[in-house]
Amino acid sequence: MISPPTATWRLPPRGVLLAAVLLLVAAELGGAGMGRYKVELARWARTGMLAHPGAHGLVGVRDVDERVLDEALFRFDAGLRLFHMHAEGMALVVIATTTVASTLARSPAVRRVLILLLTVGGVGYPLGYLVWSALIPAYGVERSKAIAEYLLWIPFGGATIVALLWLAALTAARVVRR
Amino acid sequence: MIASRALGVTLLVALATTPALAHHTGVYTPKDNAITENFKQVKFSAQARKFDVALRLYDAGPLRAEMRARAAALPDALETRVRAALLAHDAAEAERGLAVFFVALARDLAREADRQLAAGAAPSTTGPRFLEAIWRYYNLADFVVGQRDARASVAMRLAYDDAETLARPASGAPDAARLRASFARLAQILSDLVETTTPLRRNS
Repeated sequence: MISPPTATWRLPPRGVLLAAVLLLVAAELGGAGMGRYKVELARWARTGMLAHPGAHGLVGVRDVDERVLDEALFRFDAGLRLFHMHAEGMALVVIATTTVASTLARSPAVRRVLILLLTVGGVGYPLGYLVWSALIPAYGVERSKAIAEYLLWIPFGGATIVALLWLAALTAARVVRR
Repeated sequence: MIASRALGVTLLVALATTPALAHHTGVYTPKDNAITENFKQVKFSAQARKFDVALRLYDAGPLRAEMRARAAALPDALETRVRAALLAHDAAEAERGLAVFFVALARDLAREADRQLAAGAAPSTTGPRFLEAIWRYYNLADFVVGQRDARASVAMRLAYDDAETLARPASGAPDAARLRASFARLAQILSDLVETTTPLRRNS
């Protein structure tokens, strides 16, 4: 039989909640924009790709290039969709995990660092997909992926993972000490 | 304390070196283009003995338009021979004519790859790109080719595998000269196939 928790839930700082809500807003606007401007976005991306043939390895032969352009457009669209989904998900993850950190972390310093890592990591990581999509027309699929990887996915995703592991250890320690 | 710091540093290093593959970026499945899609529609309609449907799809589709546009590089009157075969309810002959068309497309791509490599195109990009396109077209004809000339089909597959190995070496950059020779070999095999597979030649 598990005894009920003695502590009440504590809200994370309002700045964190605002960041998470803004991320949700961005996710929904992104989703709506993808639906409303699907053709325009595809046209913009295709024009950008044709303006940078070297970045996509285009060879000037329709039978060869159409497949390359099709894949790049698919990746461009996938990046936007993944931004939409990750932004929605990570906004909720930020709220949930920072609430746990606010409630369970006793040391103010630890609590601040945990909340900072969870918030910055959670908000920054989905933006990597948006940046990836935006860079594909000019830099190609793989190079833009590498840029997004090192600018956003690794630092912000890494921050989230480190903070989550830390939070898991902290929660486990609280369970053991109870 | 030292142990926890070491663990933290190890974790950060591991995260920083994680390859891009670790992130969800979707899985791309190549689609048919308008020509290959129309080919499949015509082929399956003819195989189902729905020749009126096959003829309608052939007459109005991009496949026939492409055959007309490339008529100069194809065997004489190939497009009209395919139409005649559909009118005569001869699915095998129609399919053979269409196979010749795709073999000819693949041959032209092999020649173009050779030409671009000779002009100094980067073999690491040009090689794989052209090989992929060549296979996409040849693959549609391989069954017909294999039925008529199994040795030619095997020769084509072996030459393609060789070209693939040269275009994507395990280490270093592809050798442009050897890759060119490989494309020239593919073009020769495909050219021979156009000659030997062309339908109704004996009657023309």
